[in-house]
Amino acid sequence: MQASRARLFKEYKEVQREKVADPDIQLVCDDTNIFKWTALVKGPSETPYEGGVFQLAFAVPEQYPLQPPQVRFLTKIFHPNVHFKTGEICLDILKTAWSPAWTLQSVCRAIIALMAHPEADSPLNCDSGNLLRSGDLRGYQSMARMYTKLAAMPKKG
Amino acid sequence: MEEDSVDNEEDDHVGDDDDNDVQWTSTAAPSTRVITRESLLVAQREDLRRVMELIDLTEQHARTLLIYHRWDVEKVFAVFVDRGKDKLFEEAGITVKINQAPGTAPAAAMTCEVCMEEAQKATTMDCGHNFCDDCWTEHFIVKINEGQSRRITCMAYKCTAICDEAIVRNLVSERDANLAEHFERFLLESYIEDNGRVKWCPSVPHCGNAIRVEDEKFCEVECICGEQFCFGCSSEAHSPCSCLMWELWVKKCRDESENVSWITKNTVSCPKCHKNIQKNEGCNLVVCKCGQPFCWLCGGATGTNHTWKSIEGHSCGRFKEDPKVQAERAKRDMYRFVHYHNRYKAHTASFELESKLKVTIQSQISTLENRESDIKDFSWLTSGLGRLLRSRQVLSYSYAFAFYMFGEDLFGDEMTPAEREIKKNLFEDQQQQLEINVERLSKVIERLSKVLERLLLEERYDEPDGDDPQQLRMQLITLTVTTDTLSKSMYEVIENDLLGKLQFSTHRIAAYKSKGVEKASQLLLLMGRPIPA
Repeated sequence: MQASRARLFKEYKEVQREKVADPDIQLVCDDTNIFKWTALVKGPSETPYEGGVFQLAFAVPEQYPLQPPQVRFLTKIFHPNVHFKTGEICLDILKTAWSPAWTLQSVCRAIIALMAHPEADSPLNCDSGNLLRSGDLRGYQSMARMYTKLAAMPKKG
Repeated sequence: MEEDSVDNEEDDHVGDDDDNDVQWTSTAAPSTRVITRESLLVAQREDLRRVMELIDLTEQHARTLLIYHRWDVEKVFAVFVDRGKDKLFEEAGITVKINQAPGTAPAAAMTCEVCMEEAQKATTMDCGHNFCDDCWTEHFIVKINEGQSRRITCMAYKCTAICDEAIVRNLVSERDANLAEHFERFLLESYIEDNGRVKWCPSVPHCGNAIRVEDEKFCEVECICGEQFCFGCSSEAHSPCSCLMWELWVKKCRDESENVSWITKNTVSCPKCHKNIQKNEGCNLVVCKCGQPFCWLCGGATGTNHTWKSIEGHSCGRFKEDPKVQAERAKRDMYRFVHYHNRYKAHTASFELESKLKVTIQSQISTLENRESDIKDFSWLTSGLGRLLRSRQVLSYSYAFAFYMFGEDLFGDEMTPAEREIKKNLFEDQQQQLEINVERLSKVIERLSKVLERLLLEERYDEPDGDDPQQLRMQLITLTVTTDTLSKSMYEVIENDLLGKLQFSTHRIAAYKSKGVEKASQLLLLMGRPIPA
């Protein structure tokens, strides 16, 4: 069996076992393709994303885990390090600092950490980055909150 | 008496060695070395050993350090002294294990964090991270294919440690022997690719050698394959031109942009037959050879019935002044370039002819040497020939140099016109003297060749109606010394009074060497045995 397939299979079993351990992350494998995964992550508390549920899409390369998976937000999110239109994420561990010891689960954890600690100096979303860099924390928070409410929360009846 | 004194001069210059070629092979320890495929390993070892001896560490760690510092041993030592061993190692990604022996992991079963399988065989790197051999191998293969052979880092997150090259070698060769060889070659060639003091020989087809300079990087060098080149820019040896001047000169000579710009400034092409017409006098109604009349100012065709009067009020005539000034400038630049280029070309052509003459004379000499003859020693003639060819080259490049030195392309802001004029005179005096003596040298050698020819035919050299060989020999020896001195002083003028005085730009040239372009010597094996070429 292909090394990447074997590893993903292991991760799949691990996810089933850990489901209860980490209620913030719901990692699901595509029924027909083990190289396609989706995840639902909860917005971290005490951030404008609190209460929202964000969907992530994983595309795993054949050389995984030696090469990183491609991850993007499917849910619209206002965050300096996420591209507002495409959902692309700027995170070092998904690029140069990738290590084969990372798993899809730990990538999700890293993304939650990124949501709580935006890196305004390398923005993919310049509007959001500029708000933070100019010290307008309130402006950033209210924008992020608004999009969380619009896109990441279930509509109230 | 007179002969003696000249002989002494020659001796001073040439040295006492009987070898004919003595002047053209290096006698002093050369500052450049050839690195062949075979000696690459040895060259690398030398530097590795120096680092390993000073800082107590393994060969692979020394290599990692040197790759990180671009094979600059002095730099490694400087960092070591200034910032200490720990900092030096940390920067380059070296972790030295203190207790544990590197290699295969303990027998106890472990789960590899990468494949998440129970590892059958696992390896711990120096940094302490442990993964299964299969995953390591895959990782190495990916990295080698990504072209990162020289710095394969550990798989663990944020671990910058460089993997042990012996482990990489062993694991990869089990899977793919070919790739392991690639890895090996990349490591070796790092010594050439990542090294400021080493350059590939630019010969085409490539001879496979590289040249290492020991101290002065501004130099010209000859590879053992015979290719002579400038170490600074890897093009042909071009002093006294600086690398930038030479690059511009070659470009200028190659494209005819000068010609083209002169033609566009000074001619108008006929609207019918498209030949370029130059107008030397007369009015602006021009009739081409093909019979087509047209307006000189706008190039538009006019009717045959057109008269001067009817195009008098032509609107394009208003801009007459501007193009005229431009045209004059372009024409002046063109003439200037043509002047220097012609002389450059003339000396290059002479060089080629004299190279042929050299071959002829050398064969004459070798025949004569095998004969019973009064003249046995021809070293004076060989040195004279070498001097002639070398000086020819210097002369031709000096015209390219002068074109840029006294033009406005490079140094427009450096000198006032008056200063430029003074410097130009100074240089041209030197150049002229050299030129005169080189021509004399050439003439004498030509005549000597004829003498040798007669010698060969009649086995007698005291031909009454011909040149006196002894006198020619004396002339040659004197001229050889004079040209050398003159070349040298021209270089001194260039280095001290011209390039050395520049304020806004730096141009450096290879220093003058009487012996010509230095032949790089072969690196010796540690045992002192020369490596077969």
